[in-house]
Amino acid sequence: MELGQRVWLFFCLLKRKYMWLFFLAPTVAVLISIVIFPLVFSLSLSFHDWNIIRAGGWSWTGIGNYRTILFQDSYFRSSFKVTLLYLAGTVPLQFGLGLVVALILHRITKKIIGFLRTALIIPTTMTPVVVGMIWRLMYNPDLGMLNYFLTLFRFPPVNWTGMPGTALPSVMMADIWEWTPFMALILLAGLQSLPQEPFEAGLVDGASPWQTFRYITLPLLSPVMLVALLIRLMDSFKTFDLIFVLTQGGPGMSTEILNYYTYRYGFKFFHLGYASALSWLLLVVVTIISIILIRILHSRGIYAERA
Amino acid sequence: MNEVVRAKVKKIIFLLIAAVIFGVILFPPVVLFLTSIKTELDALSFPPKWIFKPTLENYTEIFEFSPFARYLLNSFIVASLNTGVVLVLGSFAAYSLARFRFKGADDIAFWILSVRMMPPVAAIIPIYIIMRNLRLLDTPWSLVITYLTFNLPFAVWMMRSFFREIPREIEESALVDGCSIFRSFRSIALPLAAPGLAATGILTFIFSWNEFLFALILTGSKAVTLPVGITGYMKETGINWGYMTAGGALALIPVIVFTILAQKHLVKGLTMGALK
Repeated sequence: MELGQRVWLFFCLLKRKYMWLFFLAPTVAVLISIVIFPLVFSLSLSFHDWNIIRAGGWSWTGIGNYRTILFQDSYFRSSFKVTLLYLAGTVPLQFGLGLVVALILHRITKKIIGFLRTALIIPTTMTPVVVGMIWRLMYNPDLGMLNYFLTLFRFPPVNWTGMPGTALPSVMMADIWEWTPFMALILLAGLQSLPQEPFEAGLVDGASPWQTFRYITLPLLSPVMLVALLIRLMDSFKTFDLIFVLTQGGPGMSTEILNYYTYRYGFKFFHLGYASALSWLLLVVVTIISIILIRILHSRGIYAERA
Repeated sequence: MNEVVRAKVKKIIFLLIAAVIFGVILFPPVVLFLTSIKTELDALSFPPKWIFKPTLENYTEIFEFSPFARYLLNSFIVASLNTGVVLVLGSFAAYSLARFRFKGADDIAFWILSVRMMPPVAAIIPIYIIMRNLRLLDTPWSLVITYLTFNLPFAVWMMRSFFREIPREIEESALVDGCSIFRSFRSIALPLAAPGLAATGILTFIFSWNEFLFALILTGSKAVTLPVGITGYMKETGINWGYMTAGGALALIPVIVFTILAQKHLVKGLTMGALK
């Protein structure tokens, strides 16, 4: 072989071996600099006191912020409670309703399912701020549709988002409207991808519809269900737009979930150290859920199989 | 005979339930749209008017008396630039993760996915400080860069699955006579994965278009995007229902058009590839 040809071959092999790095490196570099670096920055900030509008720099407080949050901050406790209530009141309902919708749609003829699916996707991709506005319009005590329907049936009007007792359920209802279709969509896609043989076998053996659901559909669908639940659970922690538009966390602190509380500490009170500590607590919780989710996806090979 | 009747009744009941479900989904957005084409007097009347003379005055007024055109332009600039950057960077990374065999490829892919799951509020404080120091606050650039935090991982993950669907043999046959991997990427993988890449781009655009929290904090006046701009029609002193609903309806138009265009791949995108 000629020398020139050899050199060419050498570079060619080298290129084949390391090309992946050139393809991948820009993205990894970008993500490190706009995600990992900021998070490390905020971790270090969370051990300091810093108010951005007052003069003076960072002052070291060690774990002071975290101690205050966990043991002294009664607002944190109340916001933690609101968060739990919010999650408990939205995710299971979305899941239950979504499952019912998916099961019903699954039994309807395939012809219209395309159209129905589009309708299901629309609340999910809709601008969340606009979803908030739509519900602000619906909930308005003086001209909203909901009070109109109530008066139609001779019920007294309700000040939906204006009272501590009804504000949180109102936000939850809007959230359920927004995300139930998403659940239904995932579960419907799951149902459609199930193998047919077990159902045929069930039919031959004379299984009742309930038995078919309980012993065939449910076990086969459970990985998809778990994925849907975890995605929603994780995203629920991040609810912001809806609360911002509907109630701004009020009245009082009745709709202030942790995500919103953190935002207010950082960008209304400008206690950036304290807010960073709050955001890291939130990050830890969400990361735990995401690790569980990724473990499931990884081990069950849902991605690998279908990709 | 009885069986046939029963099956028919069952089918009708299912269709009725489906109709109710879609009524519940579609009613609130329809109310938004109806309110946006009412005069102020009609919009404020209670009980709500179902029959009224439609008007476009809210739509013309938000352009005339509020900086709606600027919000629209900003949103458009931010979303398209971000989508462009995401598609370029993301397709290379996705191709690398889908095609090359190297140690840790799966771990890197899952790390990228986990970035996507981070709560934005955790990143917004340091990003705000960094953008302030770089003097990028209230510019479209701050948003173009920041939106990479969620859109880039999303796009890599989604495009990876599209590249994987291309049979390896097609590309390998092209590699035999030369060694330019870049050429096989550009002239074989990219065209074959094009529909999937387009769907990824559409979803990326929608996510940027819809984003609110980062835009709220990183912009102030010049670079305000649509979602932040239209919340300005709701003031402490009162809500301008006409402006708010017209602005909201206009913000939804591109989203709905794109949703319908990309709906085939949307379930995959929204579940981050877990389902087709």
